[in-house]
Amino acid sequence: MSACRPIASALKNKLCIFAKKFFMKNVILTISILCFSIFSYSQSDTVKIAANLTPEQIAQNDYNSGLNYLNNNNPSMAIQLFTQALQNMPNFEKAYYNRSLCYIQLKNYPEALKDINQAIQLKPSDEYYFTKSLIFFHQNQKDSLEQTLLKTLVINPNHAEANYYLGMLYFNYQDYDKALSYYQKAIQSKSDYAYAYNDLASTYLMKNDIDNAIKNYELAAKYAPNQAFIFNNLGSAYRQKKDYNKAIEAYSKAIMLDNNYFIAYINSGATRLEKGDIVGAKSDFEKVIQKDPRNSAAYNGLAGVYIKEKDYKKAKEMATRAIELNPDNGQAYYNRGIARQMLREEDAACEDWQKALKLGITPAKSFISTDCAD
Amino acid sequence: MKKLSILLFTMIALNGIAQNVEFEKKNFPGRKDELNEAKDNIKKGDEIFEQGEAYYRDALPFYLKAQNFNPNNAKLNFKIGLCYLHSFEKKKAYDYILKAFQLDPSVDPKIRYYMGRVYHLNSEWDKAIQEYSACLNTIKSKEEIKDVNKKIQECNSGKILSQNPIRVWVDNLGPEVNTSFNEYSPVITADESVLMFTSRRPGGVGNKMDESKNEYFEDVWVSYKVGKKFSQAVNLGPPVNTENHDAAVCLSPDGQKLITYQGGVNGGDLFISYLVGKQWSKPENLGKAINTKYHESSASFSYDGKILYFVSDREGGYGGHDIYYAEINEKGKFEKAVNIGPVINTEYDEEGVYMMPDGKTMYFASKGHNSIGGYDVFKTTFENGQWTKPVNLGIPINTPDDDAFFALAGSGRRAYYSSASLGGYGGMDLYKITILGPEKQPLLNTEDQLLAMSAKPVTNLKVEQAVEVTKPKMTLLKGIVYDAKTNEPLEAILNLIDNEKNVILASFKSNAATGKYLVTLPSGKNYGIAVQREGYLFHSENFNLPADADYQEVTKDIPLKKIEIGNTIVLKNIFFDFDKATLRPESFNELDRLVKLLTENPTIKVELSAHTDSKGSDEYNMKLSQKRAESVVNYLIGKGISADRLIAKGYGETQPIDTNDTEEGRQNNRRVEFKILSAK
Repeated sequence: MSACRPIASALKNKLCIFAKKFFMKNVILTISILCFSIFSYSQSDTVKIAANLTPEQIAQNDYNSGLNYLNNNNPSMAIQLFTQALQNMPNFEKAYYNRSLCYIQLKNYPEALKDINQAIQLKPSDEYYFTKSLIFFHQNQKDSLEQTLLKTLVINPNHAEANYYLGMLYFNYQDYDKALSYYQKAIQSKSDYAYAYNDLASTYLMKNDIDNAIKNYELAAKYAPNQAFIFNNLGSAYRQKKDYNKAIEAYSKAIMLDNNYFIAYINSGATRLEKGDIVGAKSDFEKVIQKDPRNSAAYNGLAGVYIKEKDYKKAKEMATRAIELNPDNGQAYYNRGIARQMLREEDAACEDWQKALKLGITPAKSFISTDCAD
Repeated sequence: MKKLSILLFTMIALNGIAQNVEFEKKNFPGRKDELNEAKDNIKKGDEIFEQGEAYYRDALPFYLKAQNFNPNNAKLNFKIGLCYLHSFEKKKAYDYILKAFQLDPSVDPKIRYYMGRVYHLNSEWDKAIQEYSACLNTIKSKEEIKDVNKKIQECNSGKILSQNPIRVWVDNLGPEVNTSFNEYSPVITADESVLMFTSRRPGGVGNKMDESKNEYFEDVWVSYKVGKKFSQAVNLGPPVNTENHDAAVCLSPDGQKLITYQGGVNGGDLFISYLVGKQWSKPENLGKAINTKYHESSASFSYDGKILYFVSDREGGYGGHDIYYAEINEKGKFEKAVNIGPVINTEYDEEGVYMMPDGKTMYFASKGHNSIGGYDVFKTTFENGQWTKPVNLGIPINTPDDDAFFALAGSGRRAYYSSASLGGYGGMDLYKITILGPEKQPLLNTEDQLLAMSAKPVTNLKVEQAVEVTKPKMTLLKGIVYDAKTNEPLEAILNLIDNEKNVILASFKSNAATGKYLVTLPSGKNYGIAVQREGYLFHSENFNLPADADYQEVTKDIPLKKIEIGNTIVLKNIFFDFDKATLRPESFNELDRLVKLLTENPTIKVELSAHTDSKGSDEYNMKLSQKRAESVVNYLIGKGISADRLIAKGYGETQPIDTNDTEEGRQNNRRVEFKILSAK
């Protein structure tokens, strides 16, 4: 659009000079040349005015172009077009809405909020309110998020995503009953909502309703069969139920989907250890270390293995390595304390448990009170 | 000929083992002098052997010399095994007894029995049962049959307990305490600072040998905790130790009373000594209620000092030595002794009774119940008016040999006992047991991404069970009583009061020389503690312990102030109804103590002041505190104290003694004080 103007100007100048030269000789010719110039201009956007397009139509064209850029991940260009559209059509609420989406992508939340508010003012729809709630979500403004989501549901109680986000919010508040209710509503509106099934399952897990957790993780996996984290969660639910074989099967599936998903390896190793399969557990942790030699959790896992094998010297070594890699690994301090105690390094063991407690490992407290009272 | 030799050789080879070799010339050609020497050693050994079991260990060196010459004589191997079985190195009998049988299965009619014994001592339960069962076919006497059946039962108990050994560390107390002679019967204060024990080492008072046992006389020795170790033990000296047997039996939890056993008196009697300053008093016989013409051997006080549990083999028991108890009345005299009953006492011997400072747990040794051999240590608790079925403490605390005199420290985590079967410095040694509880499970860094959208990692912690350790629910309170001005240590009386029942539970004294005191407070009561000494204002403390309060040690030094103008004490056992000025009944004991103080000092005039924390308005706090001070004054007037000696003053929140930012601080600020205004 704007590229045409410089070219048109240059041409015009040239024709004017030419016209001056020929003005006296041929006025008609000059007029013709001028008409030609105008015709040339008709190929650019600005010429559409001359082609009898209304401002609304121009705005629509700009809007469509903007949408095109937005869908192709070019929010900056999209913003310019939406802005133009709004110049021609100031009450174009869709332009405000989509410009808001552009600002969200660019993480410019104040501008996003301004635009979405404008959109809402023009048309208070559930989608606009939901978008507004996303802005609060990204800014971690929980109160505003809650209010806006609830507003969305007033307009449309079956808004699947709004219900889902409310579920998440209440999960974070540890109000699991409310979380359950909203996740279920999300699923009612969208029966293949894999993430909602996953989160619903997690809520059941927090309420120690393992059977329902498993059931919903299975459904999440059915609708999103390529998401490793869902299988990992499923594995953990089986592990809590002490169905170790199924847990390991789920973790293995997670690993198959993403063989750099170290979390699943660690969980699998922990499960095998609980089951008594020390060899299998060791293998899991060693695999992680092969791929990620600086993985503190894996070294801590090996510390656990050696504790079970009563090789306390090795256990201490592994736990020490875990701590070197991550000085905030409270579990590693805890395990090193166990190893040190059995090596008769009692004072050092107590120091480790104190450190573990400071790092939030509350089970260390009982060891400190019984074994370190001297 | 060649074929005969081959046949003979084959027979010998097929036998695979050495044959019995008698001490005869034909068996040792060309070694006549050595043979004679060996036979001479056997003869000397036999002469000592025939004097009785007490002398077996003196026969050993001679037998061992002969054994060096000829290790393949069945009878000699058998005798050496027997000597070891009657010593403190019983396990060494193993090889000799088994070899004796191999060399000659008919070496002695009781060889199968002794094979059972050595297998038993080595915890080879099945083999022991096999040998014991085999010898049942040959013995006829009822007593021997009963003994063998008992031992089979012990092996079966051993098999069961072996499956779940207790996790403990057993550490020898070291050369500062143990010697090559016997050390046993450890007694310990609740805080483990003082260890006393019995030893049969030379260097005791009298330094004489007991001919009947071929050992030095028993004496009481003492060692003190320094850091994590014990100091070099020293003889407790006279008057506790005499020229006869003197054994340590028990220490009161505060370490101020010591019960000893004197073997030369009346079949064996119990005596008591008191710590006066730094000196122990001459032991006094505990009297007829406790001591009889029979054998009284061990004892233990209850935590409040009001009951003595002791062991006696007097008539009328359940068999052998039994555990009895006798209450101590208000005059300090013993009531009639009562057998503790068949839940604890068996037809076999009970010994080594020890009452925990928690007031309800008892440890004792017994050859009955499900012992795995000799004396084993058991535990029972007093619940709902009766003793629970004793529980064997398990392996490795208990062994197939004698394990007795188990003393648990107040913390419940460590115990001390004597054992002969763990090696050590020789004979019986003292050991410290550290109880580890169940195996500690490791924690791993498991993680789940519970929320799909945020993918917030949430760490799952595997919550472990608390380590179960025998942990008594009690508070150990200790410290020093001293003069607030001069800092001199003071002897004072500490009265332990149940505030709810308004009764004095027990009285203790702080040590005259050091001012030290130690009191055990079982959980589940609201305790008042009043520390008193003539010429001083009493000091008041309060410990309100819920029933589930865990073991804790509290050190509290107590300054006593003289009855002088300006001196103030905080009355910590005065309680009001919430938001009111009504005195609660739990306060009466403290108030009566105040009445007594004012009665005994008729010239002093006092101010009773009440204080609040900063919650509530200033005006409200002023009013409430004034009313409370007046309640206290009214009570005193009601008890006959003249009103003109008393001033009631409410200070509200104007005189805090602690911060009002914490609940603990606010509690300290809510108080009643007593101040001497004049003394004329």
